[in-house]
Order: sequence, then C-alpha cells, then structure tokens
Amino acid sequence: MKKALPFLLAFFALFLVYPLVKVLGGSFFVEKIIDGHVTQIFSLDYYGLLFANPFYRECLGNSFLIAAWTTALTLILALPLALLFLRADFPAKTTLSALLLLPLILPPFVGAIGLKQCFARFGSLNLLLDHFHLIDPLHPPDWFGAGGFWGIVFLQTLHLLPILFLSVQAALANLDPALHDAARNLGARSLTVLRTVTLPLALPGIFAGGAIVFVSAFTDLGTPLIFDFQSTAPTQIYNLVNQSDNPLGYCLTVVTLAVVAVLFLLARWATRGDYAMLSRASAAGADGARKLSPLAGWAATLGVSLLIFVSVLPHLGVVIQSFAAKWFFTVLPSQWSASYYHEVFTLPLTGTSLQNSLVYAGAASLLDLILGLAIAQLLVREKFTGRSLLDALAMLPLALPGLVTAFAFLIAFSHGPFPVSSHGLAAAINTLWVACFDPRRNPTLLLVVAYALHRLPYLVRAATAGLEQMSVDLERASANLGAKPWQTLAQITVPLIAANLIAGTLLTFAFSLLDVSNGMVLAEESRFYPLTKAIYQLLGRITPEAPALACALGVVAMVFLGVSLTLASRLLGRKTGQLFRMG
Amino acid sequence: MKIELLNLTKTFDGSPVVNDVSLTVASGELFFLLGPSGCGKTTLLRMVAGFYEPDAGTIRFGERTMNGVPAHDRNTALVFQNYALWPHLTVYENVAYGLRLRKVPEPELDQRVTAALAQVRMTEQRERKPGSLSGGQQQRVALARAAVVRPDLLLLDEPLSNLDARLRVEMREEIARLHRAAATTSLYVTHDQEEALSLADRIAVMDGGKVLQVGTPLEIYHHPANPFVARFIGEMNLFPATGPLAHALGAPAVGPDSQAQIGFRPERVILVPNAESGGHPARVIGATFFGSRNQIVLRTPQGEEIKVATPDYLGEGTEVRFTVPPEHLLFFP
Repeated sequence: MKKALPFLLAFFALFLVYPLVKVLGGSFFVEKIIDGHVTQIFSLDYYGLLFANPFYRECLGNSFLIAAWTTALTLILALPLALLFLRADFPAKTTLSALLLLPLILPPFVGAIGLKQCFARFGSLNLLLDHFHLIDPLHPPDWFGAGGFWGIVFLQTLHLLPILFLSVQAALANLDPALHDAARNLGARSLTVLRTVTLPLALPGIFAGGAIVFVSAFTDLGTPLIFDFQSTAPTQIYNLVNQSDNPLGYCLTVVTLAVVAVLFLLARWATRGDYAMLSRASAAGADGARKLSPLAGWAATLGVSLLIFVSVLPHLGVVIQSFAAKWFFTVLPSQWSASYYHEVFTLPLTGTSLQNSLVYAGAASLLDLILGLAIAQLLVREKFTGRSLLDALAMLPLALPGLVTAFAFLIAFSHGPFPVSSHGLAAAINTLWVACFDPRRNPTLLLVVAYALHRLPYLVRAATAGLEQMSVDLERASANLGAKPWQTLAQITVPLIAANLIAGTLLTFAFSLLDVSNGMVLAEESRFYPLTKAIYQLLGRITPEAPALACALGVVAMVFLGVSLTLASRLLGRKTGQLFRMG
Repeated sequence: MKIELLNLTKTFDGSPVVNDVSLTVASGELFFLLGPSGCGKTTLLRMVAGFYEPDAGTIRFGERTMNGVPAHDRNTALVFQNYALWPHLTVYENVAYGLRLRKVPEPELDQRVTAALAQVRMTEQRERKPGSLSGGQQQRVALARAAVVRPDLLLLDEPLSNLDARLRVEMREEIARLHRAAATTSLYVTHDQEEALSLADRIAVMDGGKVLQVGTPLEIYHHPANPFVARFIGEMNLFPATGPLAHALGAPAVGPDSQAQIGFRPERVILVPNAESGGHPARVIGATFFGSRNQIVLRTPQGEEIKVATPDYLGEGTEVRFTVPPEHLLFFP
C-alpha cells in the first residue's frame, strides 16, 4: 500500500496544491517594469484595489451576511429538531425524519426557480392574495426582500437544514447517555442538563456542522445567479472568470478562501478534544426516547410537518412547473403537459447534459473509490512519515468551495506551467500540458477530478470508519495464508467494508450531480455542459417552454439524487450525520 | 522444517519487548512459548509470522533467512487468539481460502477441505457463516483453515484462551491429535502451563522479553533453572538458603550474604506419623479440601509457611511433622 503514496501525493500536488499556489501567486505578485525588465514582485496592490472598490466591499459583506443569517437560522431550527427526534417519540416520527432530508436532493438553485414561481411579484402567492383582495395588485409585496437577499437566505436555510440536522443529531447521539443520566441523578432538571451537560459536550460537533453550513452559504454560486442577485462574492468571481487577466478575480477568490480557512481552523480547534468522541457511547441513545403526551405528540408532528411543507415548497414549485404547459398570471398552471419529460431526453442540450453529468459523476465516484480506499488504508493501517500531511490533503477539499477550485483549475490548466516565451523542453511541456488539461478544449478530465476532489473526504471518512471497525487480524490471517496485499484487499478488506464504500461512492455520485460551480466555470461549450449548467442556460432563454424544460431536468436530477441518497443512508444508518461536518 | 531464531530483538516505543532471544525448533516438533502476559511471546510469534520486522537478529526457516520476507511469502499458518475467521465467507470458503491462493485444482481442493472439516468435526456446518458458530466451533474452523494448507510452520497464538474450561481440555486433545497426524513443525504461544506441560515436546519459558529456560516438560518441571520458572510452572515452596528451614532440611551451606534459595514442590513434602520417625514439627494453619489431593499450609515454629499437597486431609490446628527427601530438594544459587 505504501507504494501508492507517491502517486497520491503527486495527485494532490498537481490538482490541489499547484492550482491554489497559482491563484495565490496571481493575487500577490504584480508585474512591474524595473529598468526595462518585466519582473514579478510581491505586492498587496490588488487587494488594495479590491477593498478600495465599494462594490466589491458590498459583495463580500452581502456574502458574509447571507452566510451568517443562514447559519443562525439553520442552527435555531436544527437544534430543537435534533433534540426532539432524539429524545421524544411522536406519531409518524420515522416517516417525518426521512422527509426532513428531502431538501437535500434539490440543488438550491433549482429550488430558486420554484420559489420564484411561488413568491415572485406576480407569483402564485400574490395572485392568490389578490384573488381575495388582500393586497394591492399594483404594488404587490416583495417577499424576497432587498433584491432577493432574503430569498437566498430562505433557500439556503431550507437546503442546508438537513445537513446540520444530521450533523447535530450525530453529535448528540454520540454522547454517552450515562453522562446526562449522571446529571439527572444528581438532581438537575431537564433544561439544566441540556444547558450544563448536553450542549457543552455536543458543541464541537454542532460547531463543525455549523461551519459547513456557513461555508456552503458563503460560497454558493447557483442561488444568487438565479435570483440575479449580482452583489455577492461568488457571482463576482464568476463574472471575472471570463477576464482571466483581471487580478481582482484572483483576490476575491483568495479572500473567500481565507474566510473558509479561518472557519476550518476554528472547527478543527473546536473538535480537537471532542468529548463526544472520547466518551463514545456504550449504547448510544439506549436510554430511549420519551413518549410525549398525545397532545404534545400531535403538536410535534404538526410542527415538523409544517416545516417540511415549507421546505418542499420550492420542490413543489419545480415539479408543478415541469408539468405546466401554460402558467402565466395564474395561481396554478392553466394547461398541463408531460411532454417536457420526453423532450428532456431527446433535446440535444438537455439529453447531452444528462449524459455528461452521469459520465462526470460516475467517473468521479470511481476515482474517489480508488483514492479513498488507498488513503484510508494508508491512514488506518500504515505508519509512515507524512501521515498527517496526507490526512490534511485528503480533508482539505472539505473546506474548499467548488468555486475556488473551479477558478483555480481554470487559471492553472488553461496555460502551461512555464512562461509563454519558453523554448525547448519547457515549451514542449507547455504544449503537452494544454493538450491534456485545457478545459477550453475538453473539460471532462478537469471536471471529473474537480468533482472527485470535492467529495473525496466523504469517501475517506466512510472507508476509514469501516477499516477502524474491522480487526487487523482478519487481514493478517489472509496474508498469513499466502495472499498478496492486493489479494487480501480484494477478497477480505473490500467485501468487509463494502457497505461503507458503496455509501461513500453513492454520496460522491449524488453530490457530483448537484455540483454547480465547477460546471458553470469549466464547461464552456454546450456539448460539455453538465445538467446544472444546462438548467441555468435554459432559464436564460426567453422561449415560453424553457422554464418548464429546466424544471423537468431538475426533477430528473432530483430523482437520481433521491435514489442515491436513500441507498447511502440505508447503508450507513445513523452514522450518516458524521460525514457532514468539518474537522 | 527446522526453525532458528538468532538474537532476535524488538523494541516498541523505546522499551525492548523481545530482548536478544535465540531458539531452535526441530523439524516436526511441537514447541511452546510459555510466559505471563507481556513477556514478549506473542511479539516473537508475530515476528516469525512476518507481521513485525525484528530490530535485530535473524529468523531462519531451514536454510532460508526470512528477514524482510513478507508475511504472505512465508508459508506459515497462524491460528489467531480471536480466530480471525472472515465473517463474509462460509466455513467451507474460510478453509478453502489458502488452497485457492495456492491454485490447488478444484477436485483436490474440495477433497482436502472436506477432509479438514471432517477432522475437526465441522462437516455439518460447512455452509454456515462464522457469526452463527459457537466459540469452540469457530476455534475448530480456525484450526482446519490453518492445517489444510500444510504449512511449513504452524503457529498457534493462545488458541484456547477464549474457550471455557471443558472445551479447552477437549480442544487440547484435538490439537494433539492434529499434530500427531501431520507432524508439522509448530510454535504454540500460551500463558497456560497445563496446556504447555500436557502438549509440548519442548517449552521455552519467557519473562521480560527473555528466554529463561528451554527444555522438555519433565525437565522444566523437575529441574527449573531459576525461582521464576519454578514458581511459574506448578507450585513451589521457596525459602532463603540462609534460613533455619534450609539448614534443617540439609541444604548446602552458603555464606551469610548469599541470595541463594532452596525450593521443593508441595507434593514432595512427606508428613510423618510421629516424632520417632524423625521430621520437623509444624502446625496446620490452612486447609482446602479438593478430594484426591488437598492443599494444606503448614507453619513451622520459626514462622515459615509451607504449602503441602496430600491425599490426606488435615484440619486446621493439627500438629504434624514433615520432611522433604533430599533428592527433591532444589537449590538455586
């Protein structure tokens, strides 16, 4: 297995370290002409320009506010929800906890389409209210507020709530029930136990989950694009992509990266001595959930159902729109049709993009399976120098927004590593480099790598968990009987941790289908579009059937995601939540 | 195949776990490594299997030096303490695994696996998964899995320690039978002296990473090399050679500062009927009834306490006289 180490390190050096260094370099080094020579010197000039520009300041501020509001709202909702589901029994609990995860299967930017249909100025809600003469039709209320700011926060909150819910639930379920039993035994009331024991102990896990939410909301590109909300950092990075000689794009990317890095380090620090992990529950949750009184039980069911209803509203909007032959100034469509689903598979744009996405996501999952297994095997079973480096490299993508890698890939791989003026070998390498990687020619390789890189931590974690639970002696017994390392891997290790590997691979697949930033930035020609970019393109068209077609494509994506995620969580059980945390 | 271990040393986190150990196991021998937990016997076994590389020293199988040879090229077969049966494979496939790796043709493979399962009386469970077997059954599958490949060296790592007492005795006989049938050179690690005494051709007694004595069970029992071995194998009364009891029993005279000890087994103490028959006076201060052999503790007027194993049962407080025949008196300089 150690033989794989150089390959893994080379992979990370090429696809992770080099592109980031390139972006950092582009933002910190300024070309100046000194004594007639062009030289690169270190300077903060570009950052000065960036922060001197009030528009970019506003963009960063908006992104920060969106992330902060989203994190706060998801926390306020997820904490009581997780406690409720862990500690109480109420009617239809199992079904509801599955339905709560529904928003996961919808890319928020597709949800934005549905949401716009429902809540736009002349959307269903206002038309309905107008029908009952509750509002002034000439001045309908602006539900999204501030040009879409609150719409974005609302959608992000709904989309990220399941992730935080799972993460908080995992953090709480990890606590040894004996710890809070001990507090009760000493005379503490329920609320006191919660405040003094449960929450402090679960805090690192909650923080780690919250950090993921903050970063996702801060760096999401799709939702602001759909709302046409231009003043956020991600939208501006996207706009600057096409001007790759404009250093402000580099700077904006680096600032985004810095925000993420700080959060990542904080999360690491917060979980450095995670008590929840130390005192691993002998029988997690064995103390069981308390049965609520009928009234309280039904109240809980009703409350959770209401929340689920609100959170699937965007989905509903998307589904309805996908069947809408005519929907214009009416509460619901005036004509229905299923023909869009036929067109989705036959139209060149949508059909190709669907095919592309399946290929990209499939190849990325396969790549992740191989990389994840090799890395987990090395981390769990071997002792070697550079172990913590490999661990850090494999986990780094968790903190790396898709937009940052997408931008960095574009910078790093559109041109060779040597200056354009090079000769001989350097020039040959440049030519080869561009022939292999240049996303403007064919982004397939880079998209697959980008997708794989981002979901790699999920697979490493899933495989690591499997290996740690499996006795080394099972592998030794195989070697002892004469099996070469690869035979042991294929016949003993992989079958024994198959559930973890399949779950990790399915997650990779599902989230790769969801990916927005990489496809938006790296796929320039329509024949390479993944389905997310095809949806975005369709929405930009003014033909009457375009939105419905986009929604139909969105529904197809939802089905794929839903199936993969259901299978994955079946396989992983209650450990699913632990995958969604930082640090 | 003859196994030679020359000056093996292994250090974990700065402390030597195996310290300069040299041993030779003769071809076809059932050789035991016996010692308390933490004595280094399992580490030694795992170095022989190839799971750990020794820090110093040489491992030789026959004429071949095995240092640096990976575990899968050593043709040993290890019976693990926790059996390490693969939970996703049936009993049959667990046993067949090593033969499949050796590319044994299917008819011969089937015949050998069937025979191995019959030998450990697991024929009926061949299609079951290990998870549904009892501890004893799992142990038998583990034995079959190791034996079926006809290894150059069979390694057994505390194979019976997870079984209850009755099963342990049963499996002991099973192992003896298997070894007699195949005569594979075997290295057996245990902390249980009964297993070692009853099964071994030869035993190496280990403590603190070192080998203290190598010998047949009889040699080790009757002529322990030092007080540790004497006490670890069976029971032993030990007293300073400078004390009054040593003098009374006729031990060789030593200087006043000597650290030498005398020792004798409880079953070698003879209780004599009366003062005329000689012997030394003592009083029974403890007695435990076991039936055929009872455990009695005597105290001499000088305060020395002596363990005695005797078919006669004597109640506490009984005044007795005892002696130890000089040929059973051991001297540890």
